[in-house]
Formats: sequence, C-alpha cells, structure tokens
Amino acid sequence: MEFDLQEDQIILKDSVKKFFEKEVSKDLIRELMENDTGYSPELWKKMAELGWMGIPFDEENGGYGGTFLDLAIIFEEIGRAAFLSPFFATVVLSGILLQNHGSKENKQAIIPNIVDGSVISTLAMLGKKGFYDKEELGLNAVITENGYTINGSAFFVPYAHVADNMICVTQTSDGITLLIVDSKSEGIDITPLHTLTGKAHDCVVNFKDVIVPADKIVGEIGKGWEYIEALFPKINALLSCQCVGGMQEVLRFTLDHLNQRIQFGKPLSALQVVQHYCSDMFIKSETSRYPAYRAAWLVSENLECKKDASIAKSWCAEAYKDVTKAAHQVTGGIGFTYEYDLHLFSKQAKTIELLFGNGAFHRSIIANEMEL
Amino acid sequence: MEFNFSKEQLSFREEVKAFIKEAKEQNTYTFMDNGFCEVLSQEFSKKMSKKKWIGLSWPKEFGGKGKGYIDKVIMIEEMLKVGAPLGYHYVADRQVGPGLIHFGSEYLRNKFLPPILNAENTWCLLFSEPGAGSDMANCKTNAIDKGDHFLVNGQKVWNTNAHVSDYGWALVKTNHDPKTYKYNAFSEMIIDMKSPGITVRPIYNTLGIHSFNEVFLDDVKVPKENIVGKMDNGFRQIMTNLDYERSGIDRLLQNASVHIALMDYIKTTEQNGQPLSKDPLIRDQIAQLEIEYEVGRLYVYYVSYLLDSGKIPSSETAVGKTFCTTYESKLVDMTMSIMGMPGLLRNGSPEALYDGSVGQSYLWSVPYTVQAGSVEVLKNIIAQRGLKMALK
Ligand SMILES: Cc1cc2nc3c(=O)[nH]c(=O)nc-3n(C[C@H](O)[C@H](O)[C@H](O)COP(=O)(O)OP(=O)(O)OC[C@H]3O[C@@H](n4cnc5c(N)ncnc54)[C@H](O)[C@@H]3O)c2cc1C
Repeated sequence: MEFDLQEDQIILKDSVKKFFEKEVSKDLIRELMENDTGYSPELWKKMAELGWMGIPFDEENGGYGGTFLDLAIIFEEIGRAAFLSPFFATVVLSGILLQNHGSKENKQAIIPNIVDGSVISTLAMLGKKGFYDKEELGLNAVITENGYTINGSAFFVPYAHVADNMICVTQTSDGITLLIVDSKSEGIDITPLHTLTGKAHDCVVNFKDVIVPADKIVGEIGKGWEYIEALFPKINALLSCQCVGGMQEVLRFTLDHLNQRIQFGKPLSALQVVQHYCSDMFIKSETSRYPAYRAAWLVSENLECKKDASIAKSWCAEAYKDVTKAAHQVTGGIGFTYEYDLHLFSKQAKTIELLFGNGAFHRSIIANEMEL
Repeated sequence: MEFNFSKEQLSFREEVKAFIKEAKEQNTYTFMDNGFCEVLSQEFSKKMSKKKWIGLSWPKEFGGKGKGYIDKVIMIEEMLKVGAPLGYHYVADRQVGPGLIHFGSEYLRNKFLPPILNAENTWCLLFSEPGAGSDMANCKTNAIDKGDHFLVNGQKVWNTNAHVSDYGWALVKTNHDPKTYKYNAFSEMIIDMKSPGITVRPIYNTLGIHSFNEVFLDDVKVPKENIVGKMDNGFRQIMTNLDYERSGIDRLLQNASVHIALMDYIKTTEQNGQPLSKDPLIRDQIAQLEIEYEVGRLYVYYVSYLLDSGKIPSSETAVGKTFCTTYESKLVDMTMSIMGMPGLLRNGSPEALYDGSVGQSYLWSVPYTVQAGSVEVLKNIIAQRGLKMALK
C-alpha cells in the first residue's frame, strides 16, 4: 500500500493546480455560469495544448497513453477550482466510450480531434425524468436499410449546445445501441437548460427523424447498455476525485474567513461549536480522499471496481454536499451572497451528488454487489 | 499510489487465519466481541507470543518482529473479526511497549519489554481520575520525591483490568510548584500493582460486568527508576501514547460479530414470504453501513501507512477514531432496529439469537465514542491541532 502520489503525479497535480490558479478566477466562473456558452474556448485550447485531453487515449489515436490516475488528479483539481468546461463530457463520457468500444475508423475520425481540442463531444442519454435507468432513456432508434433513424428527446445532455458530435444512447428493437451523431444533422434541435450550475451546461436535445449512417455505431447493436455500465465506475471514480478537491478548497477558504471574522471580541474560529463544524468538514474531506483514489486506482489497474466506485461516489458526493452546507452555516450572511465564492462550490456539490446517480442509487448498486 | 497488499502481506493474512482456525478448533478459548479487552487468556497470548505476534511492529532491536503497522492492522483485523481473546497482552503490546521504546530508559526496556513479549504479565492504564477525565491535566495523584523512591498518593478511576494486572502505566503529578505551566507538571511511571498501599475496587458497568475499577493509592512506594522518559514531560508523552491507542483497527471492529449476525439475519429472516434483505429500505441501510465500514477501514490503513513511513500522526488518529467509533455505534444500533424484538434478547436468555451478542454489543457500544478521548475532545484536537483554529 502506498497512499502518496508518485513524483510525476505530484508534478502533474501542481501544474494543473497552478494553471487553474493563474487562469481561472472565480469571476470567470461566475461568467461561465451566466453566459450562453458555459465554457471558455480560449482555456479549452490551452488545456489541449497542455495535453490533458490526450491522457486517456492510446497513442495510435493521437493520445498520450496516460494513466487513469493522471485523469483522477486533473479531476481533483477541477473540483478545487470549481472549474466549468466540457472536459468531462468530451474526454470521459464520449471519448472513453469511443476509445473502449468504437470502430477503428470512428476512433481515428474523432479522438485525435478531441486530443487537439478541436472537437467537443458529449453523451445524450437521459429521458425527461433524468433516471439513470435503461428503461427510461430519452431516445429511440429505428433500424433502417442504411442505418438508423433517431427520434425522441435527450435531457441533461452536457454541453450539447457547443458539441460537434454526441454519442446517443438509443433504445432499438434489438436493445440499447450507441450511435455517433453529428450535432449539425438535420432534425436536431438543442436548447440549453438553466440548472444550478448555470445557464448553459446541460441541454435538452430534440431528435426528429435524425438519420445516422450504419457505420456510426459504437460497438455492436444491443450492447450499448453494457458499454455504459462499464463506463459508470470510471465516471464515479472521477467525480469522487472532483468532490475531494472541492471539499478541501471549501474548507480552506471557510477557515480563512472564520479566522478573520470577529464576533464577541474574538474570531469565530475560537468558538467550539464552530470548531466542531470544521472538524466534521475535515473528517468528511479526509475520509473521502482515499476511497476516491482507490476507485481510480482500481480502474487504472483494470481491476473489478463496481462496488468500490459506488462506495466512493456515494460517500464523496454526499460528503461534499454536507461540507458546503456546513460552510454556509458557519459563514452566515456573507455565505449567502453572490459575491462570496461558496455558492460556486455548493451548487456544484449538489449537482455532482445527483449526477450519475444519487447516494441511494449507488447504495442499491452496493447492495446488489453484496449479493443481498 | 497503490492500494493492494504485497504478496508477503497477503500470505501473512492467510497465516493469521490459519492460526485462528486452529485455535478455534482447540475449543479452549473464548471468542467474543470486545474480547480484546474483556477476555484475558494468558495461554492464547502465549500462543501468539510464540509466533512473535506480540510486538509484531516493534523494532527488532527491542525484541519485536520489526514488521510494519500495516502488518499489525492485518493481524488485528483478522483477530477481531472473530473476537479473539487478546485482552491479556493487548494494552501492553499497543501502548506500553511503544511508550517504553520511545521514551523508556534502557533499564526499563530490559526489565519490562521481554515479559510483555513473552506474555508473562498484563497491564492496565492509570490515567483517568474522578476530577480528570477529558481534562487529564487536572490529574491530582501526587508523586513526592523521597530520595530513593517516589511516594504516590491519589485515586484513579475507570481502569480496565486493574484488578488482574501486574503493572499499571500511570500519569502522576511530579512538579508541585504552582507557578509551573500545568502541562509541565506530570510524569509517567510504572507502578507494580502488588505494591503495598494499592486498593483496587470493582466498578460494575451497565451490563453488570466488572471490567473497570477504581484504584486508590495510599503511600505507594515507587522506585525512582520507574519514571518513564523525562521528568515532568509525562503529559506530552501520554499524548503520543494516545495516538497509538487511537489509531488502530480495534476502533472499527470491536463488535465485528454484529455485522456477521446482521447479514445472516436479513438473509434468513422472512417477512410475508420475502427475506428482509430484499426490502429496499434495509438494503439502503446495509449499503450505507458498508460504505462507512470501507471508508473507515481504508482510513485506518492510511494511518498505519503514515506510521510505517515514519510520520507521527496526530489529528489523523483523532479523525480515525471519531469516524470509526461512530460507525461501530451506528452498526449495532441499526442492527438492533432491523432485528426488532429478538434483538433485545441478552446472552443466556431463552430464545436468544446469536448468543444474545447483539443486545450485549449494544450496551457495550455506549462508551465507544467516549473512552480514550470523547468524540467531542477529538474534534477539539482536529480543530486546534489539525486545522490550527484559534484557541481563544
Ligand atoms: C469502558 C471504559 C474503559 C476505560 N478504560 C480506562 C482505562 O483503562 N484507564 C483510564 O485511565 N481511563 C479509562 N477510561 C476513562 C476514559 O478515558 C474517560 O472516560 C474519558 O477520557 C472521558 O472522561 P470522563 O469519563 O471523566 O468524562 P468527562 O470528562 O466528564 O466528559 C463527559 C462528556 O463531556 C463532554 N466534554 C468533555 N470535555 C469536553 C471538551 N473539552 N469539549 C467538548 N466537550 C467536552 C464530552 O461529550 C464527554 O463525553 C475508560 C472509560 C470507559 C468508558
């Protein structure tokens, strides 16, 4: 067992952290929550130049063949910076699916462009009710002679409004099938939704008789859900790491505030009740770190991790939410202002808690894995 | 980062399991929850001693096996899963030995480490007093320098196993100058429990069991060489000792059999023709327990990793103990609630399930979050030591 990062991982972590500190002010994040693109094309380019987009991809597809732990480190720092971008949608939701199950042609057509930052991609899956359930998907596809015709509406599709293409999780007569769709295809209509984290992060995408050529399938007909299920633990590990970074940062600036804010003639941080709130926040953040990284490590070692990834996601995401709630409590009025940074984190925390399954969802996976 | 056990560690775990299997088959030892403090079996301890499993993580130069803390957690984890009777050597192995190795004189090490390693004596901790629980610096037991010995007077309380112990590891006041900073007024010393002037009186806990005591010290003569470490530095030393007391997996697995009972109960008990394990609410509760157990377990391994890397954990042990004991209390509370009425049956009662271990554990769990530093005191430590929050 080795609970510390290796030297090259520490270097990566520092460099990502410094990048965000230099490039991403909290005002920029407010802007990304308010404007109608929801990301910064300029920073997107810089991230690609730094090579982040290439981490999980094979060299033959233009990637850099990094480890999953490297990706986990980036997610921790994304969390710490409360950064908003289509990185998760493009690299993980779409990119990793393609890398693992896509045809050679499709991989070569898309992944190099993801790596160099010229393409944004996403995953269209959920129905209106937002259930992560294969019986409740938003899209149907009819198998035709030359390919497929998609109808329906996919909800909560991250960054669809700026995506060049999306992988669609469709219900067909032969089971769930993944199809790559060009966002400019005829019959597609995209409307950004206003969510907790902003005006342009998730979208509803309406499909009306959208025609998809047969060779745009990812993997095999009817195997789509298998692929999605194989992706879930990876998603859970990365989101957990994002929570870890977010929690640490919230605790850091909350402590700063508490040490400065004088009431009753002394800093708030001298009050025992306030100290105990902070200890609870610290316990949550300390105990989140290793489950999150353990899940990421299991992925990187290609080991079974369905249960461990759900343990991490359930624990870390609820912990992050709890930490932000405690921070709101002890920061009083200032913590409820738009100007103070806490809401950037607390909005993301609640979002991540629900993203790819809330705590109860993951506990039900854990119960299944325990063979109850 | 790497989260797997080494080959040696995996085979060591197997060795421990085989040892336990054999010991269980002998049918001469009592295996039960809280056995690590409640059941004293010198014979079982000697059996472990032969394997050099007492002092497993002590350095070789002091007679230990020189293995790491992770190894120790592996061993204790397997032992506690089955409630092995570790009580005879537990405190000495966990705290006294490391305390002597850190701070003790050569004389004390030579005199006391070998019998601990050979399971030849058993120890108790004499820290708490009627007026000094959480506030240990209010300790009043006096040790007056009489030239060739100390004369000790005072009263200790809550001392587990003092009635069967050969030696006590005590905190006493050695600096009586009222101007001395209070944390510089104490020393640690070893007291022979057979010394004239010691009276041990039983205290019965809520289970009606005698496991802790009050200890009166009236003009007890203690040789000068029994002072551990530096004079008047005892308080600081004790804080280090406590980090050992707090860091182990024994704070996660004191009532391990409850979990086994719970899993069995929900799978084998039906309500309206369906096992309880199929009830969504129960599944959610069990999974939450599983999450907290795994999170706590990983954290305990992390703390031992810190110790193995030569770091001295402080707020980390407070985090670990708070988290893990909270889990243990929740485990048994939830198990009682899920079992319903049968959970109330005590051991020895007609109709008791799982030997009444669940109800028994529920009562035992009450002080988990109090002893060796109450959760609230630990949160103070986290805030002040770990987060450097203001003191006033
Ligand atoms: C089963 C058992 C075995 C024990 N074995 C031993 C032993 O072998 N040797 C030994 O020396 N001692 C032993 N103890 C004593 C144990 O360490 C003390 O009980 C513990 O330190 C708490 O002290 P107290 O009981 O005097 O509670 P108090 O100090 O009276 O505290 C009671 C409660 O007040 C609150 N509180 C106290 N201080 C603070 C604070 N600063 N901030 C916030 N809240 C606070 C906490 O909620 C705490 O639980 C044992 C105790 C138990 C229950």
